[in-house]
Amino acid sequence: MANIGIDLGTTNSLVAVVMGQTPRVLLDDDGRSMTPSAVRYTGAKQADGSDAPPMIGWDALDNAVDHAETTLTSVKRFMGRSLDEARKVAEELHYTLAEGEGHDVVRIQAGDKVVTPVEVSAWILRLLYMRANECLMAEPTGVVITVPAYFDDAQRQATRDAGKLAGMNVLRLLNEPTAAALAYGLQENSQGTYAVFDLGGGTFDISVLELTEGVFQVLSTAGDTRLGGDDFDRELAKLILSKAGIENAKGSVLRAAMEAAEQAKRDLTAGEIAAISVELGGQSVQMQITRAEFNDLIRPIAERTLKSCKQALADAEMEPADMDGVVLVGGSTRVPLVREIVEEFFGQKPLSNLDPDKVVALGAALQADILTGSSELSDDLLLMDVVPLSLGVETMGGVVERLIWRSSPIPVTASETFTTQVDGQNAVDLHVLQGERELAKDNRSLARFKLKGIPDMPAGLPRVKVTFTVDADGILSVSATEQYTKTHAEIEVQPSYGLSDDEIENMLESAIDNAESDVDQRLLIEARVEAQQVLAVVDKSVKADVDLLGGNETQVISQVSDALREACESDDRKRIQELTTKLDEVTAPFAQRRIERDLKLALEGQDALQVLDVLDRTVKAAEDAAN
Amino acid sequence: MTQCWQCREPVQGPVCAGCGAIQPPPPHPDLFAILGMSPSFVIDRKAVDKAWRAASRKVHPDRFAGASAVQRRMALQWTAHLNRARKVIRDETQRAWYLATGSERPSEGANKQPDPAFLEEVFELNMLRAEDPEAAILRAGELQGTEQARLAALFAAQEKGGSLDAVPAILNRLNYLSTVISGGHE
Repeated sequence: MANIGIDLGTTNSLVAVVMGQTPRVLLDDDGRSMTPSAVRYTGAKQADGSDAPPMIGWDALDNAVDHAETTLTSVKRFMGRSLDEARKVAEELHYTLAEGEGHDVVRIQAGDKVVTPVEVSAWILRLLYMRANECLMAEPTGVVITVPAYFDDAQRQATRDAGKLAGMNVLRLLNEPTAAALAYGLQENSQGTYAVFDLGGGTFDISVLELTEGVFQVLSTAGDTRLGGDDFDRELAKLILSKAGIENAKGSVLRAAMEAAEQAKRDLTAGEIAAISVELGGQSVQMQITRAEFNDLIRPIAERTLKSCKQALADAEMEPADMDGVVLVGGSTRVPLVREIVEEFFGQKPLSNLDPDKVVALGAALQADILTGSSELSDDLLLMDVVPLSLGVETMGGVVERLIWRSSPIPVTASETFTTQVDGQNAVDLHVLQGERELAKDNRSLARFKLKGIPDMPAGLPRVKVTFTVDADGILSVSATEQYTKTHAEIEVQPSYGLSDDEIENMLESAIDNAESDVDQRLLIEARVEAQQVLAVVDKSVKADVDLLGGNETQVISQVSDALREACESDDRKRIQELTTKLDEVTAPFAQRRIERDLKLALEGQDALQVLDVLDRTVKAAEDAAN
Repeated sequence: MTQCWQCREPVQGPVCAGCGAIQPPPPHPDLFAILGMSPSFVIDRKAVDKAWRAASRKVHPDRFAGASAVQRRMALQWTAHLNRARKVIRDETQRAWYLATGSERPSEGANKQPDPAFLEEVFELNMLRAEDPEAAILRAGELQGTEQARLAALFAAQEKGGSLDAVPAILNRLNYLSTVISGGHE
């Protein structure tokens, strides 16, 4: 029995597990700890005509230059985002987004296939999960997945959905900085305030953590989900391309330039000068760049991190000098200029004795182990997170009324009472938002709810109490009750950017490898059980009321019943469901006649109890039909 | 003494000592009591945090990661109560309101109008603010100090049997004054 921790990164992902007392990152067959967060859809088919699984990780990146259009990287940037938001960043990327409405979930065109970021992430998670399965020689019990502390509700929900789609038991979403602090064992100091500076490939996070008597509390978080080491590469790639006189580079040319830039960036971490040599669209480019030149090039981007640092400190009501330590996370913190900027800002040398690429995964493994309840740390350590962005609802005039404030410890609940504007109004529209701006239109729309089933009352009288709950993962749920009648108002959830349960369900069905997965198995079993229940009822009533069957009804019913019995022997869930529905349909007139006769008999016998019983059944049957 | 819903043994506090099951939280718990504190207007914020951490350690959903969905739900509710208790108790205004009325702060619309004399004062402050903001803020700050002192005096007198009936009115005035200071923005 083991829980595992997964760092699902923008550029790279890792999986780790605690062995003995020590967290270890699990290596692939080639001894590598990092797996590129990349998926390539090859368009290949399997023998049965279905799509072959895509290539994942390093395999996906092999020949990426030749398959730029179908190699999907950095999809974390699109998790839980709308098409409108994604378009802003997509221009710089080398793949194309599928057409759709601005508020739609992002869908990426990968050759002939259209996929969502959640599906792509699920493939990456599956690969890591399988690696853990092989290393542990047992299926992991549960999984902790890390997310940037700055991720909003939709982004967290999308991450959870990816885990669900990959068939995992997601125990907890853990904020990356919290994981890093855990990996550094900062809890051993028992008391202190720490800044965690996390500059990854595509996201930047700064968090202020307070550790007191075994409780980790995130005091504040700030960051930029569109800032990372990729931006350094992009800046240098632009320079390389301009040297070659290429404008508006796309596809494989852009990728080649990016790869050359990334290599030069690595060379400049240890060295003072890097030589760049790259083929760009048949043109050979040779150039040199010094660290000083590179620093000048990336300084504006690197310094953007400080704006968020100041914000996080201000939210925590702290000064840079108040930090007892600064932890570096993310491969991009290897860039010397970044370290200089951090050291200068906080006035101290940052902690860097752990591999900045691995810290988060190691911390996730520790938390996963704590959640087993049997770890040494289980009894005295508690990771307490905060709401990254305020949550509120839109009120009259498009103004936001905040219900849960930024940096409140989670889980948290808040209630607000709403009423109606018109006599007899049965529904109220609610718009839930996340963000710090005063006007609804400037904040991020999370969901639109329709509170239905409000009883008929004069305007202003109904009191619908809506309760918002943010769970320990930072995910929001909403419930509502009308206070006078105590009716539980029905809520229709229309996630603005997330995926609805139906969409997840559809994806589960279309996932290629889940013929053997638990989910498919469960759905099949449910279909069989339902079919057998219907068959049993039909058999019984046909025997009891054979005289009510007219024409070829007996024949039709027995034909459909036999076909359903046969289908139940197979694994064809769709056919089982279709035939179950059909059997319901062909027996409907017969069922109606049976109820009518029962009622007539009961009335003739004047058995009041029996009449009530039959009426009851009739009402139920009518309700079932209405549903 | 209530019974544990799971093992039927007597149980005290949020977690059953016998079987380890978390108990259903009361819908409206006493915010001081769930932190293990006695109600008091004078508090030590550090002590509140300490009590909050100790209580959270017992009921946080992470403690019940392997338990049933029902228990995880209860753990979430308990922890949400604790987080609310900490928020209310740490904030002077919310704490005063809670101690005086037994309920958490009502929505803005429920506030009564302060007395006319005070309203006139606020009106003049707003006029002054337009001409000389610094002087207005200074004056509002003085008034704030007076009201805060009255508030503290009421709670001190309560220990000797004094009434807290005047608390909501003082809090209402403080609310007006802070609006003046922030320049009309909440």
